[in-house]
Amino acid sequence: MRHVSTALHRRASRPSRPSRPSRPSRAPGPSRTSLAATAVVCAAALSLVTGCGSGSAGGASGSGVIHVLVYGDAGNTVEKRIVDTFNKTSKVRAVLDTIPGADYQTKLQTVINNPQAPDVFFNWGGGSIAPFVKAGLLMPLDDMIAKDPALKADFLPSVFNTAVVDGKSYGVPMRGTQPVLLFDNKKVLADAGLTPPTTWDQLLDEIRTLKAKGITPIALGGGDQWPELMWFEYLFDREAGPGLFQKAVGGDKSAWNSPESTKALGLLKQLIDAGAFGTTYDSVKFTDGGSPALLAKGKAAFELMGSWEYATQQSANPDFAKDQLGYGAFPGVADGQGDPNDLVGNTNNFYSVRSTTKYPDAVAQFLKLMYSDEFVKAQLAIGNLPTTTNTPDFLSGSASPAYSQYQYDLVKRAPSFQLSWDQAYPPSAMTPIHQAVQRFFDGQLDANGFIQAMQALPTP
Amino acid sequence: MTRSPTPDRAGPTRPGRADRTRADRAARTRSGPAGLTRPGLVWALPATAFFTVFALVPLALVAVLSFTTWNGIGAPRAAGLANWTALLHDPVMLKSLWLSALLTALGVLLQTPISLLLGVWAAGHQRNRAILSAIYFVPLLLSATAVSVLWRALLDPNFGLPAQAPWLFGDGNLLGSRDGAIGVLAFVGAWQWTPLHTLIYQGSARAIPQVLHQAAAIDGAGRLRQFWHVTLPQLRTTMVTSTVLMVVGGLTTFDTVLILTQGGPGTETTISAYYMYQQGFKSFDFGGASAIALVLVVVATLVSLAMVRLSGYDAMRAGAEGI
Repeated sequence: MRHVSTALHRRASRPSRPSRPSRPSRAPGPSRTSLAATAVVCAAALSLVTGCGSGSAGGASGSGVIHVLVYGDAGNTVEKRIVDTFNKTSKVRAVLDTIPGADYQTKLQTVINNPQAPDVFFNWGGGSIAPFVKAGLLMPLDDMIAKDPALKADFLPSVFNTAVVDGKSYGVPMRGTQPVLLFDNKKVLADAGLTPPTTWDQLLDEIRTLKAKGITPIALGGGDQWPELMWFEYLFDREAGPGLFQKAVGGDKSAWNSPESTKALGLLKQLIDAGAFGTTYDSVKFTDGGSPALLAKGKAAFELMGSWEYATQQSANPDFAKDQLGYGAFPGVADGQGDPNDLVGNTNNFYSVRSTTKYPDAVAQFLKLMYSDEFVKAQLAIGNLPTTTNTPDFLSGSASPAYSQYQYDLVKRAPSFQLSWDQAYPPSAMTPIHQAVQRFFDGQLDANGFIQAMQALPTP
Repeated sequence: MTRSPTPDRAGPTRPGRADRTRADRAARTRSGPAGLTRPGLVWALPATAFFTVFALVPLALVAVLSFTTWNGIGAPRAAGLANWTALLHDPVMLKSLWLSALLTALGVLLQTPISLLLGVWAAGHQRNRAILSAIYFVPLLLSATAVSVLWRALLDPNFGLPAQAPWLFGDGNLLGSRDGAIGVLAFVGAWQWTPLHTLIYQGSARAIPQVLHQAAAIDGAGRLRQFWHVTLPQLRTTMVTSTVLMVVGGLTTFDTVLILTQGGPGTETTISAYYMYQQGFKSFDFGGASAIALVLVVVATLVSLAMVRLSGYDAMRAGAEGI
């Protein structure tokens, strides 16, 4: 049952993507006969604005209490500890509410605009809060920042900017960063006489070499769909720079139609057609341990994945993670406008503030803890990499210091750190994005078809 | 050797049914206290209340929601027919209905013969029958989710069965093509649900009076003829029950799609129930999702009604009728 156990582990170590539909951890799913009934009951409950059983978020914040709502997983130990620290000195008490993993976004959506709404809540920045900002539900943090500049200055700008909407700040980073890296199997590369590629042409060369040796060059969990999206994110950045996507997500749909866009899609198509991903990627998933196993067992040489790949391998294949797992940045593209130092992925998770909170001063005090030494040490101890400016002082206390240091430097150096597309767009765009991505990989959509699918997306 | 008293079915006054009712009443009078004819409506109250609160009221609310735009934040805004016109022109919706129908049909075609044969076999008195029947029953004890996760792992192209048997699976990219993905869904559904239908057929086959088989044997009928002319006709109503269950179950299949294919590749296995889930709980378009839900309710109701009517199930004919 290796697959199942890795999948479960995945849930614990990768909190930042609750939106992933695929995980078996959504179990227990409704039985098929009861599905319709469940759906209508839920819809009914939603329409009564009672929230579908989100009892833990309950309790009005009227009696000197602020409610802090977070995604429920193993990371909660740190959040609990920070809340305790806050409560030692504050007159207003903070209460930590958790919603278990996969249901978080759905439940947040139902609770955000009713009297049980939390004062402070966990989110992914970008598209996950844009609808709330649009509905006027969130408090801009600019006044707090004016009083305490460290609330912005003590965080890496490329990360902090993820929660800036229309020029106003709406979130403070509160967990670890998860950039997407090109992982490799050192032994497979060494046996083939190769080194991690720094340019696109080198990658293409190495793919030819690896294929000739009968190795699938790149492991890809296409069944999950989002691992395929990472290739688009990086190629668009390397070819066109971060501006193209920023324009597109801002509502300028013509950006998708630019020559750079076509060129990026052409590069990806070339890669797919060259057999870089083998032929069975549609039936392989990352979330059930399929694609990480390909890399660990030497059946594949590379995998493009979020930084959580390291934790996944540590748990599933500890020996491989220790000795053979290599990691590096995505290669640069010749003539591309994007900086090879640019990153994509999950910048961090954020705390945002509901505009109706009765204790904004207490909330400001609470948010200050997110750049405290205690916070940084506690996050590093559980394997998260915070994005505060004081993080380097404590990196030696990290669960894997060299890896943490590498990532921190990468994030710090990055001129741009693009939030994953499916998180940057509002939730309603996620399914269409995933479908278009998968259909492009399958050859059901050509470049024009993909561009049209992107232009049809709803924007914030 | 077909069922004898069939003419009553076509009769406008349905004498057969009237006869039975009289007989029933007589039976009840014999066994129950004098004067008690039928239970009062009060007995239906708990079930009716439950059904109203958890089925009818939500259904009405879903109907209302389908005429609104609502992403879960704030109050639903009236949208008129917007959701419905969008749905009408939505290629994915039409395709999803077709896919639901296809998967349901595949389920019936795949599961009926297997479960019928297994059920009739299990109704016998062979050696090891009990043990084998218990083994066949196991998949039903697992949750649909567990079954899907299990098969997902078993069908992994690199580490699962396909890697061991390339002569059968090719490169093993079963979930990468439309036909492959649909085939896997139909197979996994059949693997899980065949035991239930086997059980139904087994019980029903056991209930066939042995005299019928004995009479047929005396008439010189072999096993095959007995099966064809005695067992099958006697299982007719069971077949209707089983098929109705399969169809309703097929139309609301969800977990297997969620875990095995997520509607992919592309939208090739996005069946209606999964599409509804995507619209509602992934895209937070509760208005559009409600419209899909209503379509599903209407289609499932129509199909069930049609099946009940066509099969004569509404006449509630007992399987042992005509003895």
